[in-house]
Amino acid sequence: MMTRIPILKLRDCLIVSIQWELDDQTALSFQEDLLDKLHTTAARGVVLDLTPIDFIDSFIAKVLGDVISMSGLMGAKVVITGIQPAVAITLIELGIRLENVVTALDLENGLEKLERELED
Amino acid sequence: MNLRSSVDIITEWDIVAARQLGRNEAKDVGFGTVDQARITTAISELARNIYLYAGKGKIEIRQITEGNLRGLLVIASDKGPGIPDVRKVMEDGYTTSGGLGAGLPGVKRLMDDFKIETVLGEGTTISATKLLR
Amino acid sequence: METMNKRIATYINDNIDEILKNWRIKMEEEEDDRFFQIMSNNIIDNTVREFGELMVSSLTEESSTYTAKLNEFSVQVVRYGWSISFVLKALTNFTEVVYEKMDEIEYLNEGDFQTHKEILTNWITPLNHSIVDAYSVVWEKTVSLQKIALQELSASLIPVFEKISVMPLVGTIDTERAKLIMENLLQGVVKHRAEVVLLDITGVPVVDTMVAHHIIQAADAVRLVGAKCMLVGIRPEIAQTIVTLGINLNDFTTTSTLQKGVEQALAMTNRAIVEVNA
Repeated sequence: MMTRIPILKLRDCLIVSIQWELDDQTALSFQEDLLDKLHTTAARGVVLDLTPIDFIDSFIAKVLGDVISMSGLMGAKVVITGIQPAVAITLIELGIRLENVVTALDLENGLEKLERELED
Repeated sequence: MNLRSSVDIITEWDIVAARQLGRNEAKDVGFGTVDQARITTAISELARNIYLYAGKGKIEIRQITEGNLRGLLVIASDKGPGIPDVRKVMEDGYTTSGGLGAGLPGVKRLMDDFKIETVLGEGTTISATKLLR
Repeated sequence: METMNKRIATYINDNIDEILKNWRIKMEEEEDDRFFQIMSNNIIDNTVREFGELMVSSLTEESSTYTAKLNEFSVQVVRYGWSISFVLKALTNFTEVVYEKMDEIEYLNEGDFQTHKEILTNWITPLNHSIVDAYSVVWEKTVSLQKIALQELSASLIPVFEKISVMPLVGTIDTERAKLIMENLLQGVVKHRAEVVLLDITGVPVVDTMVAHHIIQAADAVRLVGAKCMLVGIRPEIAQTIVTLGINLNDFTTTSTLQKGVEQALAMTNRAIVEVNA
């Protein structure tokens, strides 16, 4: 059983909402799918919404961090939105700071932030 | 009430099963969302360690009482190669797997109490407790 | 046994005024008891009488009635600030007075060792236990209530403008409080949809490496949920300790006063306060 995470395109942005708990395979195939989509659509930005996610361990954090770096190499900015308080606290306590990640409270704020970043 | 439950860690999917079990048990004890996330994440890290380093092992979760506090005890055990230098794996940033190195020191910070017993060539048992305050 | 208890009870009841008088003299001789110094005579009289009644009740009444009385008395005594040692002294003195009186008039005519032992094991020892128990239960309850009160006081996020919230921190921050502060902070940020939060440490007496570490962690977590954290209320001595300890707060926006912080937060969210002509 493999679930694929849907990736939507809105103007020059990709929008991803992760709705289920990520297992390792789904996370890895998501990484591949997103990079493919960036390549085929020439989108300049990605908003990744994690609102329904209630925990992130070091593996998933690493996959997310990698996706952001890889997208950067392909010329796209990534904004992560909707990280829950409990998830933020656990990540920090685990020692994962996700230092160079742009974040926003929710999808709406995230899109605004992305537009601003892309204008610069 | 069944106060003890466990998941054998053999495939990657068992990591998901272990943390789902942990989340349910944590909810059952009455932990809040933040502690649920802490416990789930700790279990995920421990299960992944078993999968990566020992190949197979077991995550056991027990509801406990200490004094008049309720809590959860997580035991991760394997019959893998053991840890040659425990002090080193407890250092922040140490990793042999190419992960983020959050591993064991991170788990220790997420939980209240943390113990490692390891014998080279025989295996490792890690017990971690979280109490409901 | 029953009869022994009854006899002592009858005796105490008959001579209650004298016993209480002697007991009070004995207690007043004890140095340092704040009770007799700061309480009004009226309260002392009442408490002394209740104490006497409690002693009799322990001998004659059903255990449930006695327990209820005992609990009531303990609550009161804790509220008056009697220490446990003072309570035990009161108990010892009371039994001594009763003994002395009974000996004097040879009330217990078979005043042998056996009788004394029975009184001791059946009345005084359980009485001691129950009083210590009741006292510690009340005390523990008080402590846990105070702990809750402290937690409630410890951290609340106040929305001051749209997108801007302030969390004033007051008092010493230990690990447990730091965790609570972090939770309240993050949940508040999400709830009030704050884009900038100001952590005001004006009321934190000491900022050491540990406290700084907790503050840095909180700020990091705030960044993850999608907001910015600013540290305000940095007094000169705090600035000194932070630099002396080599704590790096360079990634932070920091200001000396809350007022300056709010101005900066408004600027960050593209707003400003302007004066309006009347």
